[in-house]
Amino acid sequence: MAVQEKVQEKIDVAIVGAGASASVFASVLARAGKKVVMLEQGPDWQNGDLISSEIWGRRLKTVNPAILEGKDRLGYSYNAGWGSGGAATHYFAMFPRLLPSDFNMKSAYGRGLDWPFGYDDLAPYYDRVAQDIGVSGDAKAEERWRPPGQPYPMPPIRSFRHGDVWLRGFEALGIKTARATVAINSQDYKGRPACVYDGWCNAGCPIGALANPSFTYLEEARKHGAEVRPFSTVTRVLTNDKGDRVTGIEYYDRARQRQVLQADVVILAAFVAQNPRILLNSATGKHPQGLANANGLVGRYVMAHTGATIWGMFDEPDIQNYMGVLAAMHWSYDRYDKTARPGAFGSILWHCSPAIKPNDIGGIANSRNDLFGQPLVDFIKRGSRQLSRLQAFGEELPNPDNRVVLATEKDEFGFPLPRINHAYDADAVGVWQQACDEGLKIARAAGATESWALRAAPPTIHMVGGTAMGRSAADSVANGYGQTHEIANLWIAGVTLFPTEGAVNPTYTMYAASLRGAEHLAANWGTIAG
Amino acid sequence: MSEIQRRGLVQGAMLAVLSFTIDGAEVWLSPSEAQAQGAPMTVLTPDEVETLEAVGETLLPGARKAGIANFVDNQLGVAPGDCLLMARIASVRPPFANLYRAALGSIERSCQTRHGKRFAQLTSSEQYDFVDRMRQNKIEGWQGPAGPFVYFLLRHDAVDVAFGTVEGIESLGTPYMPHISPEKRW
Repeated sequence: MAVQEKVQEKIDVAIVGAGASASVFASVLARAGKKVVMLEQGPDWQNGDLISSEIWGRRLKTVNPAILEGKDRLGYSYNAGWGSGGAATHYFAMFPRLLPSDFNMKSAYGRGLDWPFGYDDLAPYYDRVAQDIGVSGDAKAEERWRPPGQPYPMPPIRSFRHGDVWLRGFEALGIKTARATVAINSQDYKGRPACVYDGWCNAGCPIGALANPSFTYLEEARKHGAEVRPFSTVTRVLTNDKGDRVTGIEYYDRARQRQVLQADVVILAAFVAQNPRILLNSATGKHPQGLANANGLVGRYVMAHTGATIWGMFDEPDIQNYMGVLAAMHWSYDRYDKTARPGAFGSILWHCSPAIKPNDIGGIANSRNDLFGQPLVDFIKRGSRQLSRLQAFGEELPNPDNRVVLATEKDEFGFPLPRINHAYDADAVGVWQQACDEGLKIARAAGATESWALRAAPPTIHMVGGTAMGRSAADSVANGYGQTHEIANLWIAGVTLFPTEGAVNPTYTMYAASLRGAEHLAANWGTIAG
Repeated sequence: MSEIQRRGLVQGAMLAVLSFTIDGAEVWLSPSEAQAQGAPMTVLTPDEVETLEAVGETLLPGARKAGIANFVDNQLGVAPGDCLLMARIASVRPPFANLYRAALGSIERSCQTRHGKRFAQLTSSEQYDFVDRMRQNKIEGWQGPAGPFVYFLLRHDAVDVAFGTVEGIESLGTPYMPHISPEKRW
């Protein structure tokens, strides 16, 4: 049976996804007068949808995970988004930067990959993003570990006892700390109110105290005419007969009807599984391995962070662990040196004290997954006022075998699903184990009456990589702006571009790199769009 | 907490209720109310409900009364995009009912093999021992979804209905502090 095809109007920019990186590109390009359409697989969330509940907050996470394999399977659905704002609708808004040493690991250490630009190239964009969306922190304190830059527009958020209890432990081990930098308002900012510290960040912050895209770049994009088309599943990027230009995208709309949207520029901003999957599914005679994949690198170098997670019970009546934000209260880059741990290469970032709930996946009940029955009830009751968490993100090096490939299983439209294989190497596991050891020392020195580390296996926190950027077409998929090496008007945005990950939450760097890329695209529109 | 002032916020999130059908009429209930009123199940069989309630009660005393079976059954009956179960964010691919059927079936098969009885008919001590072995993946001949994963999911469902609701969190003596409150107690 012939499929009815509806060719829509031609637009300037089709963006696949409506998450954080998509919103940056949409904002910049819509302000530049371009007609922008964002195709979002999930719903277009409204503020009234963001119900304060761990249970209801699960709606913000994808319901279409990749098929996951490998020794250390990714925690895909927990990290991925579903609907406008993407993962940044449920993120914690913790905003550490990468350090200069993260950008040239191959050159400096002979490990990993080099970024196509350095910290100094990105630093102005870090500073601008902070002003754009509102960031609270103490830049001077942070500059102990990084080159100087602009001050943050707001002072740090307030601390609570469940964060301050760790400071004695850090101090005892000679670890310097600073108040964590977060994209959460410590005071009213640009018409958005200050945080009230109720700990519902990951259920979506409907008041805009936390810088969700819907209050920042996405709102800006919409103001300038960008459109979000919810429940639109993009299946392929389309190319011309010569295969040297993309002509638009194919997608299935809310009614599951096939549509074709013609565009001068296509930007894939659909996260770790879908960016590679769409490129691979878009194979043609001119691009038999998929678009931008002549070198076979699409899908490779997927990374996650390990998390050395230490829990401490503090013998105080009420450390107010139910108050605060989901991001950290205090952090330290003091152990970030990639060569600091014998036999295990990679950085760690210490951070402590998110607000915790009984039923959060990283909350009270799961802090002792071995307990059940009445002991679990008793533990939850005690932990609800005395428990606090310390954690170190650990770096994983890029490994070409940690990758997204096409599965034999297909989606409802007949396109192969993404399959992700992931396993930590000995370095990542070693860094994680040594961080667990140090974390327990911190906990004991902090005065925790009970402390334990979750050592069953290193968790997978965050996800990056899959379409690495680099300096040449021989060793990367895209250049430092996100433009694919093979097709000038096919772009990629977001964390899939990261060649390495450091040991920090990726969103701040993603925002900065996206702003840099989007402004380059806007400034060179004539030559890129054709 | 006096320095922390609550803000007047958006009211009336229409999606924050569970729909149950009782005597042909659609009513909005919390899982515990649904359990108390005997709301009919729509996805799980009576045997599956019995197993889920018994396992839930073993994992967390109070889970049966809090409506674990009503909660799970209700959520297995909605579109995957609307599903609120932990299974969703544990990267399970929908339909989620397949996982629950397989998990509950595995428990019953193992109980029959090991004890010649259904899980609900075991003594409390036997139930505790069975769950402890399932947690550690130490049930010989277990077939189906991995025992520790089943333990994790069902335990989480129990915690959700008992301590993840407005009522549950407040029962711990901690404030719920919603921006937008669920209309019902979870």
